[in-house]
Amino acid sequence: MTADVHIKAVEHRFNSFTALHRVDLQIAAGEFIVLLGPSGCGKTTLLSIIGGFLTPSEGQVLIGGRDMTHVAPKDRPTTTMFQDYALFPHMSLRDNVAFGLRMRGMAKAARNAKALEMLDMVGLADKAARRPHELSGGQRQRVALARALAVEPDVLLLDEPLGALDLKLRRQMQEELKAIQRRVGTTFVHVTHDQEEAMAIADRIVVMNHGRIEHCGTPEEVYLTPKTMFSADFMGETNRIPVSPAAEGVTSPLGPLAIPPAEGMLCLRPESIGFAGEFSLGRATLVEAAFYGSYHRCHFRPVAAPDLLLTAHLPQGEHPRPGAEVELFGRNPVVLSPKAKAAA
Amino acid sequence: MSIEKQEKRQGAALVAPALLWTLGFFAIPFAAMVMMSLAHLEGREIVQGHDLGNYLRIFTDPSLRRGIFVSLEITAVVTVISVLLAWPLAWIIATRVPARWRRMALLLAVLPFWTSYVVRSYSWALVLGEKGVVMNALVGLGLLAEPVQIMATRSATIIGFVHFFVMLLTLTIYSNLIQLSPNYARAAEDLGASRWQVIRLVILPLTLPGVMTGAFLTFVLCIGDYITPQILGGNNELTLPQLIMLQLGRRGDFPMASALSVVLMVIVTLAYAACARWLKMERV
Amino acid sequence: MKYLSLAYLVALFGFILLPVVTLVIFSFQDGRLPVPPFKGVTFEWYAKILTDRAMMEALGNSLIVALLSSLVALTLGFLAASGLARVVLPGSVLMRGLLIAPMTVSYLIIALGLLQMFNKIGIRPSLLATGIGHVVINLPLCFAILYAAIGEHQKSALKAARDLGAREWQVLWFVAAPMLTPALAAAFFLAFTFSWDEFIIAFLLTRFDVTLPVEIWSMLRSGLSPATNAVGSLVFLVSVIVVVTLELTLFRKGSK
Repeated sequence: MTADVHIKAVEHRFNSFTALHRVDLQIAAGEFIVLLGPSGCGKTTLLSIIGGFLTPSEGQVLIGGRDMTHVAPKDRPTTTMFQDYALFPHMSLRDNVAFGLRMRGMAKAARNAKALEMLDMVGLADKAARRPHELSGGQRQRVALARALAVEPDVLLLDEPLGALDLKLRRQMQEELKAIQRRVGTTFVHVTHDQEEAMAIADRIVVMNHGRIEHCGTPEEVYLTPKTMFSADFMGETNRIPVSPAAEGVTSPLGPLAIPPAEGMLCLRPESIGFAGEFSLGRATLVEAAFYGSYHRCHFRPVAAPDLLLTAHLPQGEHPRPGAEVELFGRNPVVLSPKAKAAA
Repeated sequence: MSIEKQEKRQGAALVAPALLWTLGFFAIPFAAMVMMSLAHLEGREIVQGHDLGNYLRIFTDPSLRRGIFVSLEITAVVTVISVLLAWPLAWIIATRVPARWRRMALLLAVLPFWTSYVVRSYSWALVLGEKGVVMNALVGLGLLAEPVQIMATRSATIIGFVHFFVMLLTLTIYSNLIQLSPNYARAAEDLGASRWQVIRLVILPLTLPGVMTGAFLTFVLCIGDYITPQILGGNNELTLPQLIMLQLGRRGDFPMASALSVVLMVIVTLAYAACARWLKMERV
Repeated sequence: MKYLSLAYLVALFGFILLPVVTLVIFSFQDGRLPVPPFKGVTFEWYAKILTDRAMMEALGNSLIVALLSSLVALTLGFLAASGLARVVLPGSVLMRGLLIAPMTVSYLIIALGLLQMFNKIGIRPSLLATGIGHVVINLPLCFAILYAAIGEHQKSALKAARDLGAREWQVLWFVAAPMLTPALAAAFFLAFTFSWDEFIIAFLLTRFDVTLPVEIWSMLRSGLSPATNAVGSLVFLVSVIVVVTLELTLFRKGSK
């Protein structure tokens, strides 16, 4: 029902292009892992290697401790949920979900019962006799999930399964995916380029770029204490302030700042800047403000460094007036060296 | 063995039967035919050789050389007339005929497709003959004093061909027209184009690639056809396919038949190259 | 414009339908020549044709050759299309080119090549030889139609089937074939029609047992006859019934 996945020094090349550079990754049994990154970062290649659709040029894939590097997809304890769902258009939902069981030689009555059970889990038991084209996008997505889980894989691989859905439906499906994963306990490896989706569902996020793992950690770790500039930028908006160590704290264009001495870029999320905090950022003038519903998005011009622009998300109710000069404070400081590369 | 290799092996196994069939029953016979075209006939024996004697004869013997020109002339005339007749027909069906009659009209326009090819030529022989419907009508109406000979002339061949290819081209051009967004015409009209300008400057150029493909198909099928010229054109002037069949039938001259086939093949290839080049240029 | 269009439509329809209408009308001619004047209605020629042994045998032969050769062409084309759509093989482009190549070559040339080869290896002109030739001309057609029908969506469904544990024959049988049913039907129908109506290959590659077009051809040698009209009309009638049925069932569903 569940297994751990161990990716050992996997390298993959397409002709002269290297899609993955010696990637190492340990995934625990029952974990919900999200591979996150921009298109071309190697996340789908890695998923295909775990699923058995690609053989890595070098390295090994162990699933449940067994070497699966050269095993065909059908003989692996994995199933893949495809981006376009890949439902069989000529089969009813029940037959779609029962397909994998049929291929495993399960008797008709048993596999139909199991298929209905799976459809019930995703809330589509009443539509078992329908064909895929009669369903909405979200419903198809659920059938694809039921089909992939029906064969009780140890590891479920999801290739951008929510990409085709609209925002509202995507949120809802994220919650359902997470709930179903907890229920069945199967290891989920989910690929997406949407960092909000990644944070919403993942136990751990693997941020990838140019065929390397930039950062691997819980959503909080990845968001609040990114290890590289890339993952800091990719996970969300940041304000960057160059800093260099001083006797106490650091010096910056804003003046001395009371944070642990370090050399590099101080990265602050917009919501880490406000009228109160751990350390002062000096005085600044509000240039522009816009109301975004749950927060005010404000641009400040520091008095000490007029060519810098700081973006802050201030809570509702703190009424900023354009032109006003206020003192800003920061929280959760992270200093990154621009040259710091993924250490793996 | 890597997964990709297994996949490739399975893929190759699936393609193999079709590939072997095409190789064994198409490529090899074709290569053998090219070899045969270099042989010649001594008495009733085929002597394998490696000379271009047959080809030399094709271009020097007036009756053989004439075949090439007859074929090319007929094919060119047929292709041009068919396109000119079919385009307006396809356009009228696609745009002027009310939507609910459209499929019906199209079905009617290609109805004779469903007679056998041989029978279609035969029915033109029936219609165009000295005592046929057309001559009867023309003489009866007083338009002609006496029947004119059409059967067993090039005109009969051309009429028979045009009949077939108008249907074929109407079908291809129609499917082309129906796929065009009506917004092209609307946009042009909106910008002040008259209906004639819309057709000439917008619709016609948009269908040109389709027309060219259809015209190429017409060219290939027309120049390689034996039945229509044989039934309608008679034996007064022979086309390439008729000459090929003549070599086979009368004297069993396989080498010459092969050489003529190679010439036919070369003509088609040249036409294809010209057409492909034009289409590529058009796309850039 | 409106009247011009109408006039053009009528003129062209007249031209297109003239030979067929004449053919059918004079198949009922109560006389020895199928030309005007029309002397009255008789079914004598139909009776003659339907009791003509050679004609009926040719009809049977045509059906068998068309059915078997289209099935073989369809099977080979289906396998090749699924193979080439599945993986990128070294030389994929070349293979596709070779498979499509017979489409650009005149039937006469294909027939001549086969005739020479069969002569050499000792295969006598026969229905089998004709069938082989018909597979050669229909295989590219079936392959092209099916290959075009396998889009990204179909490819990913086939991948999913393999991932769920299906073996190769199961993928083809349970997923690929049912999924491609419309394309398979269209390809089979076209292949059948082409084989059914094919003349020159059958003419060169048969001798004693002939197909219908060859039998009709030999009828033509004895000149115009209402009997030939009757055969032609019958073939026409049957084809139209088949086409209309398909139009109303298969393709209507597909076009929606």
